[in-house]
Amino acid sequence: MPSLLSIRGLEVAYGAVQVLFGVNLEVQTGEIVAIIGPNGAGKSTVIKAVVGLAAVQQGQIVFDGREIANLPAHIMPALGIGYVPQGRIVFAQMTVTDNLEMGAFLQKDSVKRRQAVQQVFEQFPRLYERRHQPAGKLSGGEQQMLAIGRALMMNPRLVILDEPSLGLSPKYVDVIFDQLLALKQQGRTLLMVEQNAARALELSDRGYALELGHNRFADSGEKLLANPDVRRMYLGGA
Amino acid sequence: MELLDPAILLQLLISGLLAGALYALLACGLNLVFGVMRVINLAHAELMLVGAFSAYLLYRFFGLHPVFSLVIVVPAVFFFGYYLQRVLIERVVGQPLLSSLLATYGVSIILVNIGLLLFSADYKSVPAMQGSILFGEIAISKPRAVAGLISVALTLAIYFFLERAHLGKAVRAVAEQPQVAAICGIDVRRIRMLTFGMAAAMAAAAGVMLAMIYSFSPISGADFIQKSFAIIIIGGMGNFAGALYGGLLLGVVESYVAGFSSSQWAEAVAYLLLVAVLLIRPTGLKGTAYVK
Ligand SMILES: Nc1ncnc2c1ncn2[C@@H]1O[C@H](COP(=O)(O)OP(=O)(O)OP(=O)(O)O)[C@@H](O)[C@H]1O
Ligand SMILES: [Mg+2]
Repeated sequence: MPSLLSIRGLEVAYGAVQVLFGVNLEVQTGEIVAIIGPNGAGKSTVIKAVVGLAAVQQGQIVFDGREIANLPAHIMPALGIGYVPQGRIVFAQMTVTDNLEMGAFLQKDSVKRRQAVQQVFEQFPRLYERRHQPAGKLSGGEQQMLAIGRALMMNPRLVILDEPSLGLSPKYVDVIFDQLLALKQQGRTLLMVEQNAARALELSDRGYALELGHNRFADSGEKLLANPDVRRMYLGGA
Repeated sequence: MELLDPAILLQLLISGLLAGALYALLACGLNLVFGVMRVINLAHAELMLVGAFSAYLLYRFFGLHPVFSLVIVVPAVFFFGYYLQRVLIERVVGQPLLSSLLATYGVSIILVNIGLLLFSADYKSVPAMQGSILFGEIAISKPRAVAGLISVALTLAIYFFLERAHLGKAVRAVAEQPQVAAICGIDVRRIRMLTFGMAAAMAAAAGVMLAMIYSFSPISGADFIQKSFAIIIIGGMGNFAGALYGGLLLGVVESYVAGFSSSQWAEAVAYLLLVAVLLIRPTGLKGTAYVK
């Protein structure tokens, strides 16, 4: 079966500084795939190249049989890609409901938009309680739920998450991982970057370890967790 | 004249609010562009004069009343702004502020010189409406009343568009987080074209209204852009509602100062008010919007 997402030989530079040197990565429908690696390895850049926020110099990005490298970011929801940016970025001055509505900007039918908002509220009851508040007033964990909910609004076939648990209190890290598990059980396809590498790999079917813009390891989640080199280099010890 | 006669106080208040509504319409457009794309449009007052001279031409050659010329001028200037964004302003979005100041200053110089070529520096006016409406002891000039009310209506219409409409919310989303807005499916460049088009249309509408009240020449822009800057700083940079309050406040204060002292002082009011507001609230009345 062809991959849902296939990245081959991806090279990206910011100005004169090249940060990816031929990265390869595959995601099959229904899989959870994790990208791990130290700070500055280029994990976010891989994701940004996929969603059209970083210009691709070389290589292919094929989504569902279609070359999507260097397409503008604003067509991603129409293709079926949802994106949760690093740093739980929400529209701080807009209400929770309006933030979600923006996630379905392309859905011109307001009734269908409202249905999608209701579905997110069912998944995240906490957001329902705070639906009239400006998103800037939410706690970090609630903002991350909102960012995830916003990415789900168009019912994407691939959800890409950049460091969903970064900077959250331990309680909310658990909540977010529970939600990721719930998404997995719903049969969604996820590609995520996580600095909480051990937990991410436990959840994942497969993982990729990046280092300085190169693929370093690629294997099933279990095997990566069992690999002593990976444990030493990425999981902080034995 | 009895200074504290309630009828006079009320009269000054009403004429101040009406004048302030026109300022607000103008300044809200300037603030919208700043809020959405961090561009200070130095040609904003010249876009206003495009509206004023269009009203002049339509009145002079076709006898069209300015209220009706709005229907032609507003859409025409909207499209002018929409495409000006596409060919010029878009290039300076995200650049250092100096680039956008230079680009819009260039537009302003070009428009002023076209105006001087076509109309010379003589003052023009559009005396389409005369007379006053009387409410008991209070007399309000008809053109000022019509201009003020239409300005309020247009400003509120844009405000509710931004607050309630799906597309209007997308404008606010782009103002806050352009990259995340893009990934939501919003074509950010198109939103910026829409934004600049709306702002230009608001300026032109203010110009048409102004033409009914004041005389104007191609170099009248300076006065208005200065007042507009004072207003958006008073109200809060980038904050649409702030410019509305700031405009109304300036109109009222100017009206009282002109009523109780010489009009020389009225010229300085904008800056005195600016200093006073900033001393009390450094981010303006409504706070600076969309700060990251
Ligand atoms: N917009 C940018 N302009 C210039 N350089 C950038 C930009 N974004 C990232 N970089 C650089 O590219 C490299 C890879 O960054 P990237 O954000 O992809 O790393 P990351 O693996 O996601 O790291 P982190 O764990 O810190 O999020 C880093 O050296 C970073 O400094
Ligand atoms: Mg990153």
